[in-house]
This record gives sequence, C-alpha cells and structure tokens, in this order.
Amino acid sequence: MSGISRRKVLIGAGAIAATAAAAPILAACQPAKTGGSGKVVVMTDPNEFNDDDRKTLEAATKLKIEVVASNLTTLYAMWAAGNPPDVFRVQAAGVPQYISRKMVKNLQPYFANSKLLKPDDLAPANNFYKWDGKTIGTGDLYGMVKDWSPDFTLYAYTKAFDDAGVKVPSDTTPLTYDELRDVAKKVNKKDAGKRVYWGFVHSNNDGWIDRTAMNMLAEKNQTLYSADFSKLVISGNPEATKVIRYLYDLAADGVNQTPIDPSPNWMGADFNEGQIALLQYGYWFSAMAESDKTKGKTVFLPAPTWAGVRRDPTMTATGWVISSQTKDADAAWAVFEQYMGGKPAQDRAKSGWGVPGLKSLYPQMPQESAFQKQVQKVLQGELGKSDFILQFNPYIGEETFATSWKKNLEPALKGSISFDKFVQNIESEVNTAIADGKRIIGG
Amino acid sequence: MSVAAAPRRASPAQTGLRYGPVLVAAIAFALPIFWVLVTSLKKQSEYGSALFPAVPQWVNYELAVVLADFGRFAANSLFLSSAYALLAVLVSALVGYGFARHKAPGGSKLFLLVIATWMVPNLVLFVPQFVLFARIGITNTYWPWILWGLSGSPFAIFLFRQFFASFPRELDDAAEVDGAGPLRIFLQIYLPNAGPALAASAIFMFLWVWGDWLYPALLLHQENTTLAVRMANAYVDPRGNPLQTVTMAGVVLYVLPLIAFFAFAQRFIVRGIVTTGIKG
Amino acid sequence: MAGATHVFPQAWPRSAAWRRRGFRRALTFYLLISPWLIGFVLLGAIPLAGAFVMSFTNYDGLNLDYLSFVGADNYTRALGDADAQYALGRTLLLMAFVVPVGLALQLALALMVNQKIQFSNFFRTIFYLPYVIPVVASVWIWKIFVDPTGGLLNALIGTVLPEANIRWLVEYPTAVLALLTVWAAAGGGMVVFLAGLQGIPAEYREAAMIDGASRTQVTRYITLPLLTPVIFFNLVTGIIVALQILVQPMLLSPGILGLNPGTVPPRDNYLYAVHAYIEIFTKQLFGYGSALLWVLFAVVLGLTVLLFKTSRRWVFYGVEP
Repeated sequence: MSGISRRKVLIGAGAIAATAAAAPILAACQPAKTGGSGKVVVMTDPNEFNDDDRKTLEAATKLKIEVVASNLTTLYAMWAAGNPPDVFRVQAAGVPQYISRKMVKNLQPYFANSKLLKPDDLAPANNFYKWDGKTIGTGDLYGMVKDWSPDFTLYAYTKAFDDAGVKVPSDTTPLTYDELRDVAKKVNKKDAGKRVYWGFVHSNNDGWIDRTAMNMLAEKNQTLYSADFSKLVISGNPEATKVIRYLYDLAADGVNQTPIDPSPNWMGADFNEGQIALLQYGYWFSAMAESDKTKGKTVFLPAPTWAGVRRDPTMTATGWVISSQTKDADAAWAVFEQYMGGKPAQDRAKSGWGVPGLKSLYPQMPQESAFQKQVQKVLQGELGKSDFILQFNPYIGEETFATSWKKNLEPALKGSISFDKFVQNIESEVNTAIADGKRIIGG
Repeated sequence: MSVAAAPRRASPAQTGLRYGPVLVAAIAFALPIFWVLVTSLKKQSEYGSALFPAVPQWVNYELAVVLADFGRFAANSLFLSSAYALLAVLVSALVGYGFARHKAPGGSKLFLLVIATWMVPNLVLFVPQFVLFARIGITNTYWPWILWGLSGSPFAIFLFRQFFASFPRELDDAAEVDGAGPLRIFLQIYLPNAGPALAASAIFMFLWVWGDWLYPALLLHQENTTLAVRMANAYVDPRGNPLQTVTMAGVVLYVLPLIAFFAFAQRFIVRGIVTTGIKG
Repeated sequence: MAGATHVFPQAWPRSAAWRRRGFRRALTFYLLISPWLIGFVLLGAIPLAGAFVMSFTNYDGLNLDYLSFVGADNYTRALGDADAQYALGRTLLLMAFVVPVGLALQLALALMVNQKIQFSNFFRTIFYLPYVIPVVASVWIWKIFVDPTGGLLNALIGTVLPEANIRWLVEYPTAVLALLTVWAAAGGGMVVFLAGLQGIPAEYREAAMIDGASRTQVTRYITLPLLTPVIFFNLVTGIIVALQILVQPMLLSPGILGLNPGTVPPRDNYLYAVHAYIEIFTKQLFGYGSALLWVLFAVVLGLTVLLFKTSRRWVFYGVEP
C-alpha cells in the first residue's frame, strides 16, 4: 500500500539525512591512524619529549609526529583497539614480555645499517633490549635506551642529617643496606603527626620494588624467579625471603612513603621540598635534585650493597621500541633513530638527565657546578658496576609484581595479614599471572 | 470540597520542626561544595595552612582554563553531549511512541526486553562493545556515541512510553480519520506535546555524557577527548606537584554551567517524571 | 444461534482485511521501534553473545594470535577467586549500607522539601546539586574535603579534637566512599519521591486529617503505603547501581591527586566491578574478566528477581486518581 511505502521512505530518508548531516562533522573526528601517510604516533612521557624535541625530529625526518602520553592501561587499550602507537616508551622490565607477545619489532637489521647508532657504540644498558628467547642480554636488539643511569645511587639532603645530628654518609665508601636502614631511622622525623623528613624512600613509590629486590639478590647471583621463569620463589629461597623482609621492614619502620603513609607528590617532588633525607634514584635525578630548598645541601652517594658483589645497573633502562603492527616501519625507525642518535640525544646528554645510550656521548655530560662535579666523581665509580643485566620475567608485565606488592602491603602494614601471608599472597598472585602469561604464549 | 479547619498560626516549635531539619540537611549537603569555592580562591601556599584565603586568587580560574586547554575540550564535551542527547531523545521518543500506541505480536515482550537491558551491569555490556568498536576501528572517534544515540536509551524509551500512554486515544483516531499515518501523528501530535518528557530525558542524556569519565578515557584519544578526562591530570605545577587550588577552580568551571542550568530546569524534570506516572 | 449460517460467508472477507490490517499494524510497530531494535541487536545482543563466548576463552585483548578455548576454567576460577569473593563481600556490604540509608534520606528530603515552607525551591536545588555534579568532580570535591592537609572536615573536627587529624582516605576509605555515594545519589532519588508525593491526591490526606489523624499518622498510614511503588523503583535502581560502582573507588585512592584509569584502590574499597576492571584492563585477562562480569550479572539478576517476588507483599499499586 502506498501508505507503507511513504512511511518507509520518510523514516528511511530521515535516518539517512541525519547521518549525512552528521558525517562531515564526524569526518573531522577520525582516529589517529598509525603510520602511513607520513605520520608517526609516539607514546612517551611528555617530560622526556617536549614540543621542541618534536619539532626538531619533524624537521629532521620530514614526518609528522603525534605524541600520546605514556600510560600502561592506555597502551593496552590502544592494542586492544587494534591501533597501537608506532613507537612507544617502555622500561626494561616489560621488554621480555612485549617480545614474547610479538608486540615489538626486531630492530637488528635497522641497527646494522644505521649511521647514527653503531652496535659497538651502544652503552651496555642497551643489552636489556636484547633477547634470544631465554636470556636477556643476548640475541637481537628490539629497542634502545634513550638514556640510562645506575639506578641505585642515593641522594642525601644534608639538612635532615644536621637536624638529627647524624653524619652524612661518605661519598666514597658505599653503605650496606643494613647501615642504610639504621641511618634512615635516625633521620626519619615526624612533628606532631605531620611529616618532616622521610628517612629513606626508594623504588619509585614501590613501582619498582621487584627490581630493587632483584638487584639485591643479584649480589649473590640469585634472582626472584625459578630458572625457567615459571615461578616466583620467595618463601622457598631464604635469601629472597631476607631481601623481601628487609624491604617490608623499611615500610613498617615508617621511613618510606607507603599506602598508609602516602604523599600526594612523587618522590622527586618531595625531595625538592626538602622532605626526604635519603632518596634512591639514579644519576638522572641529579638534573633536578637541586631546588631552591635543597641547593648546596644535596650530596650524591654510591649505591648501597646488600651482601655480596655490589652491583649498580639500571633497573629502568627507559627507552623506545617500535610496535610490530606499525604501518610504516621505516618512518618509525627514522623518528627512533633521530631521537636516539641525533640532536635530541646530544641535548639529553648535555642536560644531565641521564647517561647517554651511546658511549661516544659520555663526555657531553655536564660537569660545571660543584654539585655536578661531585656527581660525576661518584658516577665514574658506579659505571664500573653497571654492566649487570637483571633478568625480568617474560610472562608478566612491568607492573605485575609491584601491583601485587602495593595491594598486599596496605593490609599487612595495618596488621590484618601477617608477613608470611603477605609473601604468600604476592607469590600466589604473581604465579597466577605467570601461568596466565604462559597459557597465552604457550611457553 | 474540602472542609478546612480555620488556618492556625504555626507555633515556634512547629516552625522549628519544619525548617530545622531542612536547614541542617542543606548545610550538610552544601558544605563540600562551599569548601570547593573557598579552596579555589586560595594560593597554593595557603592550602593546608590557612582556613580562608587572605586575598581571593581569581587567577586560579585563569590557570584552570589555561592548564587544561579548557575551551577546546569543553567544546568537545559539549558537542558529544549534545549530539548524543539529541539523537537519543528523538529516537527514544519515536520508539516510546511505537511501544505506547502500536500493538504487534511480541510487542509486550520486547518492551520487557527494553527494561531488562536497563538492568544489565554497564561493564558487562561495555567490555564487548569496546572490543567490537576496536575491531571495526571506531575507537578514538565519536562514532560510539553516535551509535549509542541512534539506538536510543532504555531509560528514555521507558519514560516516553509511559508518557505517551497517557495521551487520549481520540486524538489518534481523529487524525487517522483525516488520513494521517503514524509518523505524521507522532510528529504533529505526540512530539509537540511531549515537552516535559523531552526536557527531562534530554537533560539526563546530556548529563550522562558530560559527566562521563570512564568511556572517554578508554575510547578516546588525548586530542579529541572530553573535558573530564583532560582535566583529570592537567592541574600540576611545572615540577609535577598537584595544585589543589587550581583543581578546585577547574571543578567549579566544569560544574557551574550545569548548576545554573539545573537550578532553572529542575522543575521540568519533576513535572516530566510526574506525568509519566512512574508509580505504575 | 440465529445468525450462525450467515457468519461463515461474512467471515472470509473480514478475516483477510483484518489480517492485512494486523500485518500493517505490526509492520508499523516494528518500523517505529526499529532504531532501538537494531541497536539492541548490534550493540546489545551481539556484544553480549560475544562476551559470553569470550568468557570461555583466554582472550588477552592484545592480539588474536594465541586465542584458544579454555572451557569453563574461567568460571571455576571466578568462583574460587579469593579476590573476587572478597570484592563481592565488600560490594554487598557497601550496598547494604548505602541503599537503605540512601532511600531513607531521599524520602526524608522529599518530605521536607514538599512542605509548605519558604525557599523550598532553593532547598530542592541544593539537594539536587550533587546529583548533577559529574563523577570526576565529585570525587575531587570529597578528596579535598577530607584531605588531612587542606580539608574542611578535619578543620571542623579539629575545633573539638585538635589532635585527631584523621587520614580519612587511608583509615576509613569505605566511609568516605559511602558518604560520597549517598550524597551524590540523594538528589536523583529525592526528585522521584517528590514526583510520587505530588501524585498522591491531597484529598486523601485532608480526609484523614479531618478524621483526626496527626501529621505523622497521615505519613505513616497514607503517604508511605501509597509511595511504595516509588520506593520499590528507587530500591531496585539503587541496588543495581550500588553493585556496579567502579569509578569512585579507583579515583578515591589516597595520595596522588591526578586520576588514572586502573588505579588500585585501598583494600577496603576493592569492589567487585573494580576487580573485574583491573583483571581486564590492567592484567589483560579479557576472557577471565568476562566470566567475572557474567557472575556479577547473575547476582544482579538474582537480587532483582528476589525483590520483585517479595514486592507483592509490600508494594501497593492499588489506587489511580
């Protein structure tokens, strides 16, 4: 009947008209498709890659660069959306897993042909990006550090020590971790419930707690995981239990920022406010350690030692990788290469924000002010201890252990679970995650 | 006919009883909001050390706009909220009209289905939708909201169905006699008289998108995201320390247009809900 | 019947016309509801089916290279997951507090605002305001309000107990979450109750008062029973919402002021939806997370059905004016 067709046409026409009207507006909102058409999407930390860097790279590569702020959940979401960034920032702890899950490109062929990034010019920290399926440190290169630091060095705020009447530790003789704990307790200070000084903060607010633990264990040539990475072993390994117990005790001592004693700022900001007596961050922090409050009152100290061969590698090895799903690998490499070996790399070296990824750039590190000179003096001693490669677990991501630690630390510190239960929970949660990872990769 | 007693003067006790609780409740409710205003006018150094600002720092509002690129992202939020509200309301009105006035085999079961979808936990539905959107490549665009709008909202469909069900059928019959088809009846009789329901549902739909943080955080990308997501991490000083005072100014700016609008529009909402007879 | 033999020949043309009209009417109906129906199929039924299938796999959201079926593993794991059980417990606990208290408050506010007092509009606006405020903003508002450093709450408490300085988000995170939830939801429920109150004919109350009933008796024996449908509506929606609370606990974490998806809340606020979200978006366990969510759906459905069944006892639908 004509009535039906008229109605149908009306409704249909209405729908089409509405969508047609909306289409031009929506076209303007198209997604940032990766690669192709001369555009490269880079996911990184805006603090490490500001607008000037972007413009420099765009000029050098003749490509358009779009920057997305680094966030693990967002990264995973972009992957789930089938639209990952071309280049993204990672830390060493995550690299094995990204490789196992086929998320990153093998860059060995590119390095072989590169004029800027020569294999024998690469700093040892780059070995974190090498993997052969079993061991980190050997095999093909999957990425590169943007710069690195021996990460276990300490910064001391001398005023906190003066207030407590404690001598500032020497910058030539490393402390032991036990000595460090004692000193931390002495300089730790609260005044009528308000925090004056935290004694010793470390591991980036527990985000890197497993790496710290692994480095301590590495002094005795041990690790947190079983040989084939299939299990996290703490309670079955007396040394590991000792290390974890030590780190837990630091939290219980109240010298560290914890879930029950948090700070609204990150560790670095609090140090600049003069609220931290001893801070464990790598060389890179020296570029910002001196604020108005801490200027002239900051001392750089060598990494403490646990109980064996002292080691001070990087535990972050922050760098870039190229996604396996990039639509234009050559374009991504061009951006990568320039950032790692071109002008931005030289600027980074001069800024003192880290030890360069290329050995040839080492001399460019700043050494003008008294503080910088003192830092360099200590750094030279540390570089000799920094070749070690921590073996991260390929079945889990960068934050798996830390998330479990933080989640269980709160009830443990409040007393609702015992230390043994705390360890058990972490082991069970991480082992479940490892099993999940294995199930997926079929390892 | 009501036989009212002679109007009595309320005793002070009775007045106290009438106004007391309401005043206390109002103060309790307003306290956090009041504190937002106070904090937004402090210097960051006064935060935590002074109860009230020495001098109102209106500059915080300027900072709130600048640090979060407020104008641009507010425009994004505005576009998204309006587009969704417009589509969802019109479609829901049409669908609600269909349910209210037209019978068909399976019709009542379908209406139960509408209500049932309302009860499904959001995350249960969103996760597979997210995967679907990802697979067809519309993440990082506004298309998900357009699609959601085009399929209507169970809440609004329910509202309109109840609302239209109370219209007198004589209007339909008269129009049919004049040869009008259902669409014309809808456009010329039902829709023009649906004011309260349109307003009520439009407001809810708009509010849902304007205030949403989770979906834009997961679906959109930082260039085209909404204000809520943009503001979430924007208010820090160059060292990375949080600026509570500027954050509060940002909150005020984010919320002020809504408050003004709602203070004005809320009587429509009440009327809209009354006329749908939710009791039934 | 007298006309029986005449019915038969007349029935033929009538039934065909009737069928045509019936068909036309059905077609109209389906055309009118087609946007919703299509949307329901494409954005509702199909994704839900997909989610159902996904819950039997090990999908990790990253790529399809390693996808495989794992049977009912995800479900056995979900039911045995200590974290999930704990989270469900916390969620039910929160719900058991927030829903009744919220309902009572919403009703009380509606009754207060419905009185014949000056400025009732103004009061109504104040109570409605938090409902309008978006989630991100309301979380920030409360974070600042209870902040030990710059918050008003501790300043007020400090006038009587100077040493207290309670760190609310660390020691009593669930209390803050509960307060925030009730505060934000009050306005919405209040408005629905107001609509319900205004739908009760004044004659009933006046008649009762003439018969000598006091105001409280009127409320108890007339208003409340007539309000039961509205109470029921608010109860059901309240429970459905409470069981799904996700964003507020994550954003209420003490410490950093910025808001990041995937933040793990303090243990006390580790609600079920948060657990599912973290499993999916932080641990990349889409398959397992889907199973968790279906379990949640079952709980919601079960509770809703239970409510509907018991509603016959106390919800009074009787009277239309």
